[in-house]
Amino acid sequence: MIGWIRLFLAELKKEHRNMFHSRLVYFSLLIWPVIGFITSYYSFKPFSLNDNSPITRFVPPDHLVLFLLTGYLAYLFFWSLVQSAWQMGYERQSGTLEMIFLTPVHRLALIYGRSFSSLLESVWLFFTFVIMILFIVEGIQVDGWWSFPFAFFILFISAVIWGGFLNAIFLFSRDAGFFYTILDEPMLIFSGVRIPPLAFPIWAKGLALFFPLTYTLHIIRMLVMEAATFIEILPSFTVLLVVLLVLINISAFVIKKAENHMKQTGSMVLF
Amino acid sequence: MLIVDGVSKVYQSKVREKLWKTTYKEVKAVEDLSFQIEPGKIIGLLGMNGAGKTTTIKMCTTLLEPNSGSITVDGYDAVKDDRKVKSLVNMIAGGERMLYWRLTGRENLNYFGNLYGIKEATLKQRIDLLLKEVGLEDAADTPVEQYSKGMKQRLQIARGLINDPKYLFLDEPTLGLDAPIAKHLRSYVKTLAKEKNKGVLLTSHYIDEVEELCDEVYILDKGRLILHDTPERLTASVFKENSLHIWVPALPNRTQKELEKLLRTYHAKMEIKQSIDLEEIEIIIKTEQEITSSVLALLSNHQLTVLKLVVEQPKLEDAILHLAERRIG
Amino acid sequence: MLQTAKATFHRNMISMIRAYPWSFFLSHILSGIYTVLFAYFTYTYVFEGVLDSRFSNYAGTNDYLSYVFLGGALFSFAVSTLMNVSRSLITEQREGTLEALLLTPSSRKGYFLGNVTQQITRTLLEFLIILIFAFLLGLQFKHIHFLSAIFIWFCAVIGFFSQALLLGSVMLYFRDTYITQNTLFVTMAFVSGVTFPIGYLPEWVAPLSWMMPLTPALEAFRHSVLEGQGLAASGSQLLHLSFLSFLYLIVGSLGIKKTEKIVVEKIFS
Repeated sequence: MIGWIRLFLAELKKEHRNMFHSRLVYFSLLIWPVIGFITSYYSFKPFSLNDNSPITRFVPPDHLVLFLLTGYLAYLFFWSLVQSAWQMGYERQSGTLEMIFLTPVHRLALIYGRSFSSLLESVWLFFTFVIMILFIVEGIQVDGWWSFPFAFFILFISAVIWGGFLNAIFLFSRDAGFFYTILDEPMLIFSGVRIPPLAFPIWAKGLALFFPLTYTLHIIRMLVMEAATFIEILPSFTVLLVVLLVLINISAFVIKKAENHMKQTGSMVLF
Repeated sequence: MLIVDGVSKVYQSKVREKLWKTTYKEVKAVEDLSFQIEPGKIIGLLGMNGAGKTTTIKMCTTLLEPNSGSITVDGYDAVKDDRKVKSLVNMIAGGERMLYWRLTGRENLNYFGNLYGIKEATLKQRIDLLLKEVGLEDAADTPVEQYSKGMKQRLQIARGLINDPKYLFLDEPTLGLDAPIAKHLRSYVKTLAKEKNKGVLLTSHYIDEVEELCDEVYILDKGRLILHDTPERLTASVFKENSLHIWVPALPNRTQKELEKLLRTYHAKMEIKQSIDLEEIEIIIKTEQEITSSVLALLSNHQLTVLKLVVEQPKLEDAILHLAERRIG
Repeated sequence: MLQTAKATFHRNMISMIRAYPWSFFLSHILSGIYTVLFAYFTYTYVFEGVLDSRFSNYAGTNDYLSYVFLGGALFSFAVSTLMNVSRSLITEQREGTLEALLLTPSSRKGYFLGNVTQQITRTLLEFLIILIFAFLLGLQFKHIHFLSAIFIWFCAVIGFFSQALLLGSVMLYFRDTYITQNTLFVTMAFVSGVTFPIGYLPEWVAPLSWMMPLTPALEAFRHSVLEGQGLAASGSQLLHLSFLSFLYLIVGSLGIKKTEKIVVEKIFS
């Protein structure tokens, strides 16, 4: 357990030093998403947004901004982890990772420590967004004060576990860029960041089920847009927990498999 | 003739103090440097890291522009007529850079030859000849990424000769090469100068290399020229100070006095170091003359056992440090 | 100049065949396809084809899908061209061949010309694949004025090429590719009328739209493909595009010339 915590803290410090002052963070986690968010808002302009618009079946047109904001916020959390996992791929190439694997540290601690710490770096963004939501945007409906921290908690936990999964994958793949292409934009489309998954045809709904962000986003929108009570979200929450558990198991499996592979062949590249 | 006349180069480097605040720091890389390279001559440029050797080469090959002074190559100005100068000079640097790893040796040479605007028939002939001269005929059609370090270095040389330059610059050409390959390279450089009448400028860390090849040597320190001479005279004046290290179990006062007296007659300097465990004493003697036997005779007269004896040849670094100190003093 | 261009074309072709940049190729195609797919989803499933009354006025057509599909395809073509050309010098620097290149008296214009023509062989393929995908989802070619479409596409290439020179010198100066290029690309997606007509944008964005060669290129391209108009109908767009191309070509060439020197100094200072 002490090893867990120590590694956790070590990763936290390293990530902080690596990331905090780098301009990359401001661009990739603030400027690009804000422009992306505005672009997707304007992409709805060509459509009819009055009260008879077909979109009212899913979202009231005047709640569209809130809908997109929650979507982008959650997506941002998940995305910041894609980026951090990607850098892990570079570390592998430069050989620092093999040094880590020489130590007897718990492998899962490594990937979650990393994931957690890179997320902490972007927490300030979360608050910027929350303030925007509270003061600027119409359409917030919550059951009580607990809804916000609870939404945040769900978002944080699922993002860390998603990040851990990505770290495990990127750790052992030759072409991280390829996975990035596969995972990034489909997540944006299928998990309901910009359009409600309910509107999807059946095959796309099926695809949506593969992205944990879909479940997370569903609960968060219930919490802040539909004033859902805890009882109301309980079924979705249970599903999310199951999904996250499966994801943890897959990550652990990948790491175990990859380490065995490394011991046999001397190569860290699994796929 | 390549004439470098009163050339200075100042770098401005950014120092980032805070996130949005930067200040500039000026570094004088080369200061008021003048020298000449004649066809058929090999010039050595010596100095420690940061002395300005590479900067000098980059300026002569038009990669950098001097802040003041002028460089002319056969009458063409390196700044104004840089294209003309580029076709007259070339540079070979140590290491594995400056080649396209995905292309084969022949394809690399072909590409660079085209960039020099060489006609196809001439180019083809020259490539075959160069590949033969550097011994890469068999590997000519293998991608460079499969080459060994020495092969890459040899291809570099072929690349540096692809435009048949009149003046050739070699920046640490034997760095990291195995001894036999380095030796071969040295004799090749000699042939280039003596038989093909090329002017060669060479920088090196290895004093032997400079001694063997160069007709003249320039020593730079912190961007300034501190010495210009033939290698023979340099070794005679600067590099003759040997240091003699002798380890003894103890050094009685009387012996030390006698030793000092002896050394005074030879104008030698002495330094005494005690080991941490107090079990041995190191005597360091710096001298320009051969006095090892007299020193040993004195010690044995005093019944002292010599535990270890090392004679050190001067290192280039030491010599330059020495020169630099002398200049300041 | 032509000898340099030819040699560079040849060199890049060999490198490309030996190690095909699959992940770039794939990610360009996929990002184009996602734009197309996203528009299709929004139009078909969320809004069931009900458009805003101003759309046809702003866009010059009622065919939303074709409008956005062309936007997505040309946008991803612009991104590919910009990336490939602007990164070429910085790649030379990273792989350690920049000095060897600068040592030669070769023409820089020839070098870039060789680069862009070689890379078009790849980006054109990406462009066509995206168009075919869009065609399957309902892109209309009924009215296309073929000759003028090709001519406009060619002018667009020149525009993107000039812009890439400028981008390349900025990237070389900052020795950064990731931040600079992505900032440009997200901005282009926002202001150039890729997924919605620029008429919807607030006025203060107009100067930004105006600065992107993609804006007039897209307008003219849509005129010829969707409305079947000849070159005369796109006169003002072509003038706008040529002006930007000319401006960026001059500024970009000067910029490259200046930054080359700075970069060599930076390596050694």
